[in-house]
This record gives sequence, structure tokens and C-alpha cells, in this order.
Amino acid sequence: MNICSVVVHTRPEQLDAVQDRLKEMPGVEIHGGSEEGKLIVTVEDTDTSMAADTMMAFNDVNGVLNTILVYHYGGDESMEEEVISETD
Amino acid sequence: MKLTRRDFIKTQAAVTAASVAGVTLPASKVLADEKWDAGIRWDKAACRYCGTGCSVLIGTRDGKVVASQGDPDAPVNKGLNCIKGYFLPKILYGKDRLTKPLLRKKNGKFDKNGKFEEVSWDEAFDVMAEKWKAALKAKGPTAVGMFGSGQWTVWEGYAASKLMKAGFRSNNLDPNARHCMASAVGAFIRGFGIDEPMGCYDDLEKADVFVLWGSNMAEMHPILWSRLTDTRLTKPGCEVHVLSTYKHRCFELADNGMVFKPQTDLAILNYIANYIIQNKAYNKAFIDKHVQFNKTPTDIGYGLRPEDPREKAAKNRAKGKLTKISFEEYAKSVEPYTLEKASELSGVPKDKLLKLAKAYADPKKKVSSYWTMGFNQHTRGVWVNGLCYNVHLLMGKISEPGNGPFSLTGQPSACGTAREVGTFAHRLPADLVVKKEAHRKIAEKIWKLPEGTINPKPGYHAVLMNRMLKDGKMNCYWQQCNNNMQAAANLNNETYPGWRNPDNFVAVTDPYPTVSAMAADLILPTAMWIEKEGAYGNAERRTQFWRQQVKAPGEAKSDLWQTMEFAKRFKMEEVWPPELLDKKPEYKGKTMYEVLFENGQVNKYPKQKVTDSEGNEYMNDEMEHFGFYVQKGLFEEYASFGRGHGHDLAPFDMYHKARGLRWPVVDGKETLWRFREGYDPYVAKNNPEGAKGDVFFYGNKKKNGGRANIITAPYEPPAESPDKEYDLWLCTGRILEHWHSGSMTRRVPELYRAVPNAVVFMNKKDARKRKLRNGQMAKIQSRRGEILCRVETRGRNRPPEGLVFIPWFDAGRLVNKLTLDATDPLSKETDYKKCAVKISRA
Repeated sequence: MNICSVVVHTRPEQLDAVQDRLKEMPGVEIHGGSEEGKLIVTVEDTDTSMAADTMMAFNDVNGVLNTILVYHYGGDESMEEEVISETD
Repeated sequence: MKLTRRDFIKTQAAVTAASVAGVTLPASKVLADEKWDAGIRWDKAACRYCGTGCSVLIGTRDGKVVASQGDPDAPVNKGLNCIKGYFLPKILYGKDRLTKPLLRKKNGKFDKNGKFEEVSWDEAFDVMAEKWKAALKAKGPTAVGMFGSGQWTVWEGYAASKLMKAGFRSNNLDPNARHCMASAVGAFIRGFGIDEPMGCYDDLEKADVFVLWGSNMAEMHPILWSRLTDTRLTKPGCEVHVLSTYKHRCFELADNGMVFKPQTDLAILNYIANYIIQNKAYNKAFIDKHVQFNKTPTDIGYGLRPEDPREKAAKNRAKGKLTKISFEEYAKSVEPYTLEKASELSGVPKDKLLKLAKAYADPKKKVSSYWTMGFNQHTRGVWVNGLCYNVHLLMGKISEPGNGPFSLTGQPSACGTAREVGTFAHRLPADLVVKKEAHRKIAEKIWKLPEGTINPKPGYHAVLMNRMLKDGKMNCYWQQCNNNMQAAANLNNETYPGWRNPDNFVAVTDPYPTVSAMAADLILPTAMWIEKEGAYGNAERRTQFWRQQVKAPGEAKSDLWQTMEFAKRFKMEEVWPPELLDKKPEYKGKTMYEVLFENGQVNKYPKQKVTDSEGNEYMNDEMEHFGFYVQKGLFEEYASFGRGHGHDLAPFDMYHKARGLRWPVVDGKETLWRFREGYDPYVAKNNPEGAKGDVFFYGNKKKNGGRANIITAPYEPPAESPDKEYDLWLCTGRILEHWHSGSMTRRVPELYRAVPNAVVFMNKKDARKRKLRNGQMAKIQSRRGEILCRVETRGRNRPPEGLVFIPWFDAGRLVNKLTLDATDPLSKETDYKKCAVKISRA
């Protein structure tokens, strides 16, 4: 299981458009962004896609200037569904 | 609400990204839970790939690397990582990792035409030492050679330098950095009398104007590109100019993108200088005080074999001695480079060139110029580096925040190891050279060698090594930490015949069965990157250390271990003549290992525990094996070359604590901008009468009183240009997903899948003319060889008509079968960016 977070740089005027395009890609979640043209995105493996391929495809999305990785977890799969906190 | 470990990891990942990007996330996203990474030990390491020098945090659990992240405390990457960084730990775990020495054998014995069989380290070194001894006996020290790397750790390069230059007394030691940085070095030494950039990455936030000359920073230095992008998007008035021979990803951000005809960067730079002079925009006060004008011999050939007609025709073959000229003579020399002429030669529209010239000429704008292989891999590489310095020097835009010319490196320690340690055929540590007696004496004293040990004649450089192997003049060759069979130009006619010459014995130290390894006679499996304690020096003079994180697989041993162990196989009587040994009778009967590495300095620091600030303990396999702190001893002996001479490195232990330090490090303080008082302590030391904040180019103090050299040089054509038959330019280079020859990145399944094979990027019109469509297989031929590649007309690289680009990472499509081994006659660096090819349907 691969989970990673990336900062995506866009031209500020294209921020919304890029956000919409990225959202359609598998395993992608957008957590927030800033007006200067930065998006905080997580990407994970899905049944049909690898996080790596998805991230790589970001660079081909119109309006993306740069994609930079911050964090990568590639650990043991069996542990990931373990519930570690329950709240009401 | 249930939260799984996966949810926590994801949130943690997003929060980490937001904090490094300076973005505030909605409150609901912010969870704090530390439990999820329990059991993971985190420690810093310099990235294994390029010269940017990012720091990454490596997460290890049960002796295996399980996670990584950009190091938030690292000034270079500030917590960011490029896409290759995602896979960084995976480079250790490729399926075909080599774990035992392999020797070509037939009937139980070494045979050049035998098949690879597993052997013990003893057998491997026995056979290798026997071959080296025979070659030394028959032809002397010039018959053996070693080819190293800008990916070697600092101490690996230093140990190799001692082995070759002090032990074997052979200067046939060159790094693969010859292919990437030699032209930059040549220009630094000619211009400033001391190697490496004056500025640092802090300029990426401080400049108003960025100019990229032959650098696809978006793909090759993505972290620097992200810093530059940030500045462009947030700083009012900031502009980005991009020059290249084809369109690439940087053009998306460019305010002024320029595609020029190969080699005409020489003319464009001379035009800018001419514009500055014609408009009297130059900084007269700066020039009068800090600059000397010079000219260099022209028509210098192309570094080909001497019998090549192009060499015979050259009037001043390989000459580079400077002659002082006046400012007026300099002005006259660039006068022919008018806007019209520059535009006509380069094919760049006049308004674009004018915009570029104006940016440099505006005294109010801070300009940072960046370049990589477009300048360096150039038959006039030293010239073109210098022409860029000329422009900066005319304006006085140098050695201060935001203003400066900056040569980027392609390898993680091209600066730290290849250049600073001096593993080139003509160099010694800290900018010393073998040619000068005074320099040899310094090295001999530090290394405790008798006078006259070091050979005064420079050895064979990278390209010459291949020629000498082919010609049978060099018979033993040891390659460590790179893949030169794939990297060197003109593979069919020079490299391969040289390696397979029956008179030669080639050993390759490699973690994987690369093209080089498979062409060798002996393969020695190596420990890589964080499987050993290491140090790298990046492009901004930053030295960074890491501790050993995990063990190497099987019997793989680090390059350092191999170099030192091999030295044990030689008695001094076998490598030095009796008259030299008579000058140091105490060395009689000793091994080369004892003389070089048990000299009271290298073995000065006893075995100790290696721990981090949290008390975690780390292995050090070399310390364990040799019985002393090998890395520390080598580093401290090496550092004694440069301390007090402008190359000061901090004490060893300090680097294990810091996120790298930029040399010169004086009194624990690093230097951000060299040659300016207030930033660089060596300015006041060399020029005590100077004013506050004044510039002094102390590298040239003895030569010309501390002035930088402006060196005029004209446009001259490349070694091979397209003609009727071979009608296209071929440019080679890298892409984002793969690093260099792909030895590491092609073994990461995700990267391999992303870009499995090299393609030929070409213009649609060129494809159509040859009845080729996107995705079809094409045959690419040069005068030297041919390869097959699929055509890509819609990719990230968009060449103009008349030029194609093929990346060199693909071991299945060796683009260096096509390239020409023409080099800059001054730097001996190959021009991988220009030769002529033809393309047809396969």
C-alpha cells in the first residue's frame, strides 16, 4: 500500500480548473490549497491504479507547473485497516 | 467515527505537505496522533540522485527502509521531494541486486571469453591483483587506471585518489563528472582561479530575473524549479527566461521562451555583452576595480583523435592560454554580434533577444543565470560558461544575494567528491594540480610520501581512457559507481572495443548488472547509498553526511571497503621503484594499505559507537572491519588540504549534526556568497585594505591582483552539423522519471512502468516528411551506429523542425551508439548535445 502527499503548483488563475481535473483521477484527495497556486493533495493506490502512476500523470494535466512529493508511506498492507481510534 | 491506520497516515501525509508548503488546512483535517509511526526510526540522508542535494528522512523498521519524506529541516528542499524521491528507498531493493563477486571463467579459470561465475572475494582480488601487477611490470603506472564518480562518497573518492596517485603513482584516475562538470570547472579556474559557484540556492528567492541556459530544471532539478516557481508566482515583476534547443516543461512558466539553433548560445551571449557595451549600461566602477580583459586562442579543434581531419585542420589545437587585452579591444571583439546577427544565427526572434539583453542590462534587476549540460556538454563548453560570466561581470551582477551565474550539477557529489577531492586526471585535493611541483609537495607531505612520488604528468581523461584501452596502452581498468559503457559517446567504435580488447582486464563495481557490468571481466557487488556511512557535496558547496541505515545484501561491500582491501594485495616493492623506496626505507616490506591507510592519520580515530541525538545506534561496517573510524580518519586527513586556503571544511562530527554546511566553513560559520566582504571571511584576509562589502576575487590574487577574468571568445561551428544525408540534429539528455543511465530508477517498478523505454522526441513535420506517425518504430542512424526507437511527437519535449531528442537512460536503446566523441578541447568534456543523424521507418 502506497500513500503519499504532494504539493501541486499551478498558475493561480488556473487553480480551480486544475483542482477539478485532479479530483477526477483515481485515489486522489485534495485537502486544501492557497491562492498563490498551491494544492495539497494525497494520492493512494486503488484497485485499478498505482499512486506512482497517478502522480506522474499530474505533470500532464493542463495548468500544472510542478508536482512535488513530500511524504511517502509504503509499509505493510495488513496493518492499514486496523482501527486505531474510535469516537462518537 | 472509526479511524483506521490508513486514515491517520493519509492525514499525517496531508498535514506534512501543508506545513512545508505554508498552506493552512481546514481544521477538521488536522489530527494529531503520533502512534501510527511507532517503531519507525527516522534519520536524515542526502538524496542519492542529482546535484540539488535534497535531504530526506529515512524511516527504517526491522532493518528495512519502509518510509521516506522530504526533510522539513533541510534548507535545500524545505521538506519537499521530487517524484524520484518517492521511490528513493526502492533503489536498494531491485530484484537483480548483485550479492557475490562474478568472474568470467572457463574450465575453472579466468577467461575473457568465459561466462560469469560466482567467486569469493579472495579469488576475485587474487585474479585482479595478478593482472594489475603484470600490467605495472610490463608498462609501468600508465598501464592501469580507475574510472570513478561524482556519486562516490567524499571518502570513497579520496581513498581512490590515494590508491591511484600515491600508491600506484598513476594519474589515470578520472570521474564520470568529466562528462558533466569539466567545462564548468575549466571556466571557474580560468575566470576566478578557484572552482565552484560564488552564490548559493538562496538566490532562488532573491533574484528578480531568472535565466535558464541549457537547463531543463523542471525535470532535472525539480526542487530548485519549485523554489523558482514559487518566487515567480509571488514576487511582483519577477520574470523567467528559458533558452534551449527544443521546448520543454520549463517553457510553461517562461515569460520569454527561446528555442535557438545548437551552438549559437555563443553568439547570443556575445550579443548581450555587445548590447550592454553599446548602451553604456556596464558597471564601470566594478570593471575598473575587479575585472581584467583577456582573449583566448580560437580554432582549437574538437578533442577528437589526432588523425581526424577536423583536428588536423585546427590552427590552435587544444590551446587555451589567455592574453591580456584592453576594454576597447574586448568591446571591438563583440561588436560584430549585433541583434540582427544574433537573431539570424540563432533563429530566435529579435524582440525576444532584446528582452533578454535588457533584463541583464537593467542595473535595478537582480539576475540569476542557471545552466547544466547545455553549456557543459559543448565543444566550446569552457568558452560558453565564460561568456555567461562576462555578461555578469560587465554588470557587476555577481557574488551578492540574487545576482550571480550558477552552474548546476547533475550528480550528488560532482562537487563534493569529483571536484573538491580532485579525482580528475590532472587534479589533487582542494584545487591543487599534479603539474605544479609546489602542489605535489603539499600532497606528498600530507600523505607522508617521499618527494617525487606523485607523477607530474596528467593522466588519461575519461574519453582518452577509452581510446587508450582500445589502443592497448592501458590494460587494467577499474570502474566504480557509474555506468560508463552506457554513458560514454561513440560506444561501438571506442568504448566497447576497448573493454573487450583481449589484452585488457576490466573490473566493474556495481550494485546491479548494468551494461557496464555485463561488458566487464569481473563484477564486484557493492553496498550503495545508506548501506554505508556517507558524505556528498552538492552544487552550492554544501557538504552533507549520513549514517549507515541498513546492511548491504549478501556479500556486497562498499566501494571504500573494496579500494582499501585491494590495496592490501600489493607490497610497496611491487608498486614503487627501489630508488623511491630508498627515500622512505621504513615503508619497505609494507603493504600499500599500511602506507596509505594505516599512516597514523587515517587510522587515528578508534572504533566507537555511532549514535544520533536521540540515542539510536547505527552500524558502520567499514569501522567494524578495519578496526578504526575509517570515514572520520579519511575525512580529516582530506580536510587538512583545504583548511586555511579558502576550501575550509568543518570538523567531521559537526556534519553529522547539521543539515549540511556550505564551504568555506570558518569558525563554524558557512559561506553563502563568496568573494564579497561581509559574506566571505577570505576577502578581508586577502585584501585587508578593502572597503566594507567590497568584492575581491582572491582566487586570482597571485595571477592578477584579485580580478575576475572576462575572456572573449567567438562563435565557432560544432564538430558535426546536419548535412544532406544526416539531416537532423541529435540532442541527448535526461527525463524526470529516470536518473542518468537508469541503473537505479529502471529497477523501481513504478518508474520503469511510467517510462519503460526511451523514445525519439521529434517535430510532427519532420515525422510526416519521413512517413512516420506518433508511436511508430523508427530507425535512427548516425555515421557511427543505429538504434530503434518509437516516435513521440506529442510528448513533453517539443523539438523544432530539424532536431530530435533521445534520452540516454535506456539500456535497451543505447543512444551513445549514435553520438560522437567530440569534446571541448580545453575541458575534455564530451558534447552529447550535437551530432547529425538520419531517421527512417523501421
